[in-house]
Amino acid sequence: MARFVLNRALKAVLTIWIAITATFFLLRLLPGDPTTLMVEGDMTPEMRAALLKTYGLDQPLLEQYVSYLRELLHGNFGISFRQIQPVTDILLDRLPWTLLLAGVAFLLTIAVGIPIGVYAAAHRGRWPDKLLQGFGIGGHALFVPSVAMLLLVYLGAKLGWFPIGGAIDPDTRGAAAYLSLAHHLVLPVASLVLVQLGPYALTLRTNLIDVLGEDYIRAARARGLSGRRRLWKHALRNAILPALTLMGLQLGTLVGGAVLTETVFAYPGVGRLIYEAVGQRDYPVLQGAFIMLAITVVVANALTDLLYAVLNPRIRL
Amino acid sequence: MSSPLVTDPAAAAVPVQEVGPGTRSAWRTFLRQPSGLLAALVLVVMVLLAVFAPLIADEPGGTGADVLRAPSGGHWFGTDDLGQDIFAQVVWGTRTSLLIGVAASLIAIVLGTAIGLASAYFRRVDAIGTVVTDVMLALPTLPLMIMLAAIVSPSVWTLTVIIGVFAWPEVARLIRSQGLVVSAMPYIDGARVLGASGWRIVTREIMPAVVPLIVVSVLLTASRAVISEAGLSFLGLGDPDAWSWGRILLNAQRSGVVAIAWWQTLFPSLAILLLVLAATVAGMRFNDIRDPRRNGG
Repeated sequence: MARFVLNRALKAVLTIWIAITATFFLLRLLPGDPTTLMVEGDMTPEMRAALLKTYGLDQPLLEQYVSYLRELLHGNFGISFRQIQPVTDILLDRLPWTLLLAGVAFLLTIAVGIPIGVYAAAHRGRWPDKLLQGFGIGGHALFVPSVAMLLLVYLGAKLGWFPIGGAIDPDTRGAAAYLSLAHHLVLPVASLVLVQLGPYALTLRTNLIDVLGEDYIRAARARGLSGRRRLWKHALRNAILPALTLMGLQLGTLVGGAVLTETVFAYPGVGRLIYEAVGQRDYPVLQGAFIMLAITVVVANALTDLLYAVLNPRIRL
Repeated sequence: MSSPLVTDPAAAAVPVQEVGPGTRSAWRTFLRQPSGLLAALVLVVMVLLAVFAPLIADEPGGTGADVLRAPSGGHWFGTDDLGQDIFAQVVWGTRTSLLIGVAASLIAIVLGTAIGLASAYFRRVDAIGTVVTDVMLALPTLPLMIMLAAIVSPSVWTLTVIIGVFAWPEVARLIRSQGLVVSAMPYIDGARVLGASGWRIVTREIMPAVVPLIVVSVLLTASRAVISEAGLSFLGLGDPDAWSWGRILLNAQRSGVVAIAWWQTLFPSLAILLLVLAATVAGMRFNDIRDPRRNGG
């Protein structure tokens, strides 16, 4: 067990380190001078030199890299160009919202996707299955902001069922605050789930159909177990683990979708921060946001793998 | 961003078939299916719109007198808050979306095929290639592309390169898994015994066997690239001199007319949906023809 955990943790750290290193060098080797992005209008050579010195950009590349890594290890993501405050503080303000949004969407996709996938597998070739196949293929073509705007216009603006922006009503307290939180979460989460659900349930259905062809299912049938029991107790148990891994692999896409959803609904997470930072060309914030999201995704992925190992009886830890 | 794919429709690598149906009959099979024909038609119409955009509509720009008009005979898709014609914007946006989609997908295919094939045949390359592919697949691509696009000034070509460079891992994984199957076949051993070099085996013996898969990948990668381009443009990282579907949506978002002018968000959204759906369906149908055992499955 300890060995497995250690291995997986090492792999996660390695991935994060590669991401940090690659972005560091990419950003510095790309054409474009960051100082020109910081000051509007003309800049004297002295001003430019002073700015470069302030941000340590006059040092040799390798030294910059080492000190950048050292600072990162201490949780320092640098200083924002526009809002003169540490990027770490800005990010930590926003990250919980993105975690909430993406986390709820993640769990909901699994919770809704599994029954849909099982139902379609059980009715293979009939209309529920055909419907899922259409939804599964069509899901690839859904553009997150389009879905988000559609929900915002109809369920938010026209019908007024849900708030059209923000994450919480600041005037609420106690239970009302939680209710307001959940109320604001509905449309952003729905946009993400709608986009992910079809392809996810379709893959699940295909996995399940493969499992249903295996010998132990035939044996169960020979023993006289009912179709429903074979499906829900025997087949699902083996299909549910790949379903978890599958969703783990989707985390990167889910986070990308969250960036777009948050932008549409003015949801105060890291994604909306990225949108604002793009407008201001605030690149320490962009770099910090990417690294923060990368760490989130890699850690969540590692946790998914661990859960898989714990739940899978074939792996004895 | 990679599109919200849970699985690549072609990712389930299937054993290579010995001799596929001839190219001509493959095309006939493809077009005989209603979904294949429809997908091909949509793609052809899109290409025609892109090529002949200047003949169909004037390039949108400036301000017009008719502000925020609903769709009508004069303005098929309505107008935006500056009085520009949305139909013209969508038609001109087709150019950017298709161009970036196709060009980025070509970059991704070349990189992905090279890395995937090399990984499939050379053990040492595989060790590094797999690690790099896994790392790239594990990272959230959209924030990464956003960061790079914000640093270099966004233009059609920089966007193409950025999207292409981050879309190859899916292709590499697909090609590698298929390439591994081919590498293990007796005729590859035969070529080696006859003294063929590694380069020759990869390019002359293994590559032809994965060509149908490459065709499928082009379509699927292009559809992902179109979604990525729309995402970047929607976040304000599009080429400021070129119309794009994402930019129309961004304009609606910025001018705060999303709730009023439904036409400004509906039509570019439909365009994205249609193009990506057509490319995906075409890719899947092509995949079915490549492997007859999957037909009707």
